[in-house]
Amino acid sequence: MSVNLSETPVLTTERLVLRAPKSDDWPAFRAFMREERSHFVRPGDLTEENAWRAFGHVIGHWVLRGYGQFILTAKGDDSALGAVGPWNPAGWPEPEIGWTIWSPGAEGKGFAFEAATAVQAHVRTGLGWAQPVSYIDTANARSQALARRLGCAVDASAPVPGDEAALQAWRHPAEEAA
Amino acid sequence: MTPALDLAQSFDSLIPRIETPRLMLRAPRLSDFDPFATYMQSDRSRYTGGPVDRNQAWRGFGHIAGHWVFRGYGVFVIEHRETGQAIGTSGPWFPEGWPEPEIAWTLWTSGFEGQGLAAEAALAARGWAYEALGWTTAISLILEGNTRSETLAQRLGCVREGGFSHAQFGATGIWRHLAPDAQGAGMEAYA
Repeated sequence: MSVNLSETPVLTTERLVLRAPKSDDWPAFRAFMREERSHFVRPGDLTEENAWRAFGHVIGHWVLRGYGQFILTAKGDDSALGAVGPWNPAGWPEPEIGWTIWSPGAEGKGFAFEAATAVQAHVRTGLGWAQPVSYIDTANARSQALARRLGCAVDASAPVPGDEAALQAWRHPAEEAA
Repeated sequence: MTPALDLAQSFDSLIPRIETPRLMLRAPRLSDFDPFATYMQSDRSRYTGGPVDRNQAWRGFGHIAGHWVFRGYGVFVIEHRETGQAIGTSGPWFPEGWPEPEIAWTLWTSGFEGQGLAAEAALAARGWAYEALGWTTAISLILEGNTRSETLAQRLGCVREGGFSHAQFGATGIWRHLAPDAQGAGMEAYA
């Protein structure tokens, strides 16, 4: 038998299709978790077993919250390139928009910006989130640059999950960045 | 209806419901998280990956839901029909790193112990794995020292056939279940 996340929205942008995660995305997620590039978004000692459980949670978050990380795919190719979406696990001070680009080959093309822009609009109209945050490592310059491009600014008064010295809350604009 | 409700109901409808005399095995839901988190924060969970804090418990519960999508099967939440309470989990379970698929069970509070409820759930879950999934064999992995679960395994007809050392959880016993044709009282006993 198979159990899929049906009833989930699909967002389409100029070059991308954003869809719910599925089991076929596991190898791409695993590959990302094995790379140095993922060190901002995982514990240093992540085992294969716990990476699998983490991806199970990425899927299960949709079931529990009704929303979650969309998988980025290029139009015409269902391969997972990364994930962008609303994210609100237990312990988060407030809901955020998260993003990760899994494939190095998908970096530097503006895919994360294109996807995150669509997700900004989606959470505003679909979930009623006026100004969510994105939690970003203080050393993650690439992600900070994307946040700026999305019109976000650091909200120093917003609490962060986990290590206060390592994370900042970037507040999204009320309207789409120009 | 909100998108969240649509999705939760759709997920629920994809997962079977199994009724036994006293229990209903059904899909995990957000409302089950609180009793699950209470269990995972307590010493009762010491043989099933706990205790952990509530935030880690959330990720564990998310994985329970996600496992269904990954594998097409997973652990059911055990609902106590008389009270409507979610009291534990049981079902086929095969996360990365397991030596082979198992039949798992947990009871979240001591108040429901000692009534044969875990056995009732595990028998139904095993019957479902054999009949609906076509499993021809099954194990249960039981952490060393979990004598209550070992007693239950024996009651279900399991025989210990060795051990498995899990990198994170430690030494476990491998308990082999009765084969489908020998199980006698599987799901059909409660049909």
